[in-house]
Amino acid sequence: MIQNVLGSSEGIALYGIASVCLFFFVFGSALLWSLLLKSSFLKSMESLPLSDGEIGNSEEGEARHE
Amino acid sequence: MKIDTFSYDNKVVRAFAIATVIWGIVGMLAGLLAAVELFFPGANLNLQYITFGRLRPLHTNAVIFAFVGNGMFMGIYYSLQRLCKARIFNDTLSWINFWGWQAIIVSAAITLPLGLTTSKEYAELEWPIDIAITIVWVAFAINVFGTIFKRREKHLYVAIWFYISTVITVAILHIVNSLEMPAGPFKSYPIYAGVQDALVQWWYGHNAVAFFLTTPFLGLMYYFLPKAANRPVFSYRLSIIHFWALIFIYIWAGPHHLLYTALPDWAQSLGMVFSVMLVAPSWGGMLNGLLTLRGVWDKVRQDPMLKFMVVALTAYGMATLEGPMLSIKSVNSLSHYTDWTIAHVHTGALGWNGFIIFSMLYYLFPRLYRTELYSLKLANWHFWLGLMGIMFYVVPMYWSGITQGLMWKQFTPEGFLQYPNFLETVLQLIPMHRLRAVGGSLYIVGVLIGAYNLYRTARQGNFEPETQAQAPAREEVVVVGEKGHRWLESKAGLLSVLAAVAVLIGGLVEIIPMFVIKNNVPTISSVKPYTPLEVLGRDIYIREGCVGCHSQMIRPFRSETERYGEYSKAGEFVYDHPFLWGSKRTGPDLHRIGRKYPDAWHYNHMDDPRSTSPGSIMPRYPWLLTQKLDTSSLPARLRVLRKLGVPYPDGYESLALGDLRKQSTNIVTNLKIGMVKAEPDREIIALIAYLQRLGTDIKSGKPQADADPIPANTTALNR
Repeated sequence: MIQNVLGSSEGIALYGIASVCLFFFVFGSALLWSLLLKSSFLKSMESLPLSDGEIGNSEEGEARHE
Repeated sequence: MKIDTFSYDNKVVRAFAIATVIWGIVGMLAGLLAAVELFFPGANLNLQYITFGRLRPLHTNAVIFAFVGNGMFMGIYYSLQRLCKARIFNDTLSWINFWGWQAIIVSAAITLPLGLTTSKEYAELEWPIDIAITIVWVAFAINVFGTIFKRREKHLYVAIWFYISTVITVAILHIVNSLEMPAGPFKSYPIYAGVQDALVQWWYGHNAVAFFLTTPFLGLMYYFLPKAANRPVFSYRLSIIHFWALIFIYIWAGPHHLLYTALPDWAQSLGMVFSVMLVAPSWGGMLNGLLTLRGVWDKVRQDPMLKFMVVALTAYGMATLEGPMLSIKSVNSLSHYTDWTIAHVHTGALGWNGFIIFSMLYYLFPRLYRTELYSLKLANWHFWLGLMGIMFYVVPMYWSGITQGLMWKQFTPEGFLQYPNFLETVLQLIPMHRLRAVGGSLYIVGVLIGAYNLYRTARQGNFEPETQAQAPAREEVVVVGEKGHRWLESKAGLLSVLAAVAVLIGGLVEIIPMFVIKNNVPTISSVKPYTPLEVLGRDIYIREGCVGCHSQMIRPFRSETERYGEYSKAGEFVYDHPFLWGSKRTGPDLHRIGRKYPDAWHYNHMDDPRSTSPGSIMPRYPWLLTQKLDTSSLPARLRVLRKLGVPYPDGYESLALGDLRKQSTNIVTNLKIGMVKAEPDREIIALIAYLQRLGTDIKSGKPQADADPIPANTTALNR
């Protein structure tokens, strides 16, 4: 019933197509963006959590946790 | 270069950590009791407060919002400060967040056993608590954004994006799904009805899984895993793609909870396609985590923190492969309403959320208390018991789910249902339910050992309330001339807006057409509003949590129409505030139960289900036979329902009580024929009235010309 109603109402077919197009746009942009990033920047980002500024604890991570 | 010296707040992190452990044990014990009730129905000791129907939402809420919620706050409050190189924005807000959240949990633990529930899954809490959740969440949001804006780090690490998307999306989901109109201090009706309510609910329900149980923990994984392994994440590029693809796709997938229901077919297909696509970003994230450990797998042997993390990621990978698979319509036709779903969610809950939280706890306790972990051996015991527990839980549930799904669909060569009695399929599953309880017990024993180990760790160390830190001052890290994603990452506000847009698009595309159709669905003219007695009966049905075990949605399969009757139509639910389609059939579907049995059958069945259905695992409801029906709130309830669009005539409130009495007297007369003597003013009378009404509107009278004779998807009828 509702399927029929929606099938005949305007613009419904567009939703599916627009959704997939939109996804590829978002996915493509993210991909492009990430590929354009310089490796020096990536390196600095990757190491960001490893240095948390704690005093006397800069090399932490290895020693204390079991 | 100017260097700032400042401190990180550990006190609120510790508070959330302790709450996580305590609520974890409470929530899991509630789950265990619920599991036991499914093979030993007397386990509630005939107490109405802990019947399965009321216990189940208590268990799910305790585990999701109390255990996992506190674990999430714990991890975010710890990692956000360190990733921003700044103390948390405001300590008072931290404590409002902490105590407010605990107060919400306690109020849930009180109201749910009392039967005060909206019945919408994972959104059961009534309107005053909904408002409290909003306030506490705003406090949390201000703290998160405040910390981000005063950070001493130029760029936002990927973990923080996940936190931002969590804060924004949970707020949107909670508000939209909780739009309800109060009809008393702890009673409300949602503004949506039927199909719309179902769609909004599962848009919420699915994305509560996405943005409460998944995105914050992916963020936490991106922080704690590199810290524990002491090496950077495998690929930062992959994490960017992971983030944007995941948050964009997740929001579209909600309708996979409503496959083959009365939801429009296009919405089902859209949900299915996006659910299948979801496997890509999910596995991208999992692989990014696991590959971070390349070269340091030897550490996994020694470090319990990493052991838990690796199993968590593996469980995440399994659950996110299984989820898309279950979203394929043909697979879903077998799995839906069965224990398969229960197995799936527990792979996620016990494996992913549970293990990643224990991983963080084992990481944090020695650090917060400046000591070593009390016992490596006990941690290993916890790990193996937990892992065994998961196995003993999920494997029997898969077995049980597939068995029951197949039994429901089995026909004899003559074309009759092989197992026409639903109970037969239930009894087949009892051994599996017993094994599940064994699995749950193993898991809980593991958690208790873990709790003891953490307690002893705390005892032997000295708590450090503040950790001193140093970093270049904020002025030193002002962004100039950045481009592209680097620039975006440095703009927290813009990043938040884009994340919000990404998650909103999917929701809008699915929900807007639902509101458009409101005006052009051909209503089924024979579908009428519930009578006053039925309204109260329906509210008792909601109070007792019947929807936890009984669906009201017959799918258009021959195996279902043979068993239950005519499949359910969207137009039949236009006055259902809230919808009660359910998502699990521990008992049979009830949509066409009306007039199937005499009134006296229902009376006896509610008193003792085993008197009418030997071997049934349904609990007894003797209190319904003795408790007086509260009619004082009836006018308020009818008034609110009218405001929401149910066509009760103006001023009907004054006549309602008379109509209610008339209908009660009729039922009492019917009961007398069935040799049952009952008072007309008891709750059972209202419940019988409601049950006898269910699905009968389109049975009565002549077939309606506009009553949807054939569904668009006729192939489904041959299933």
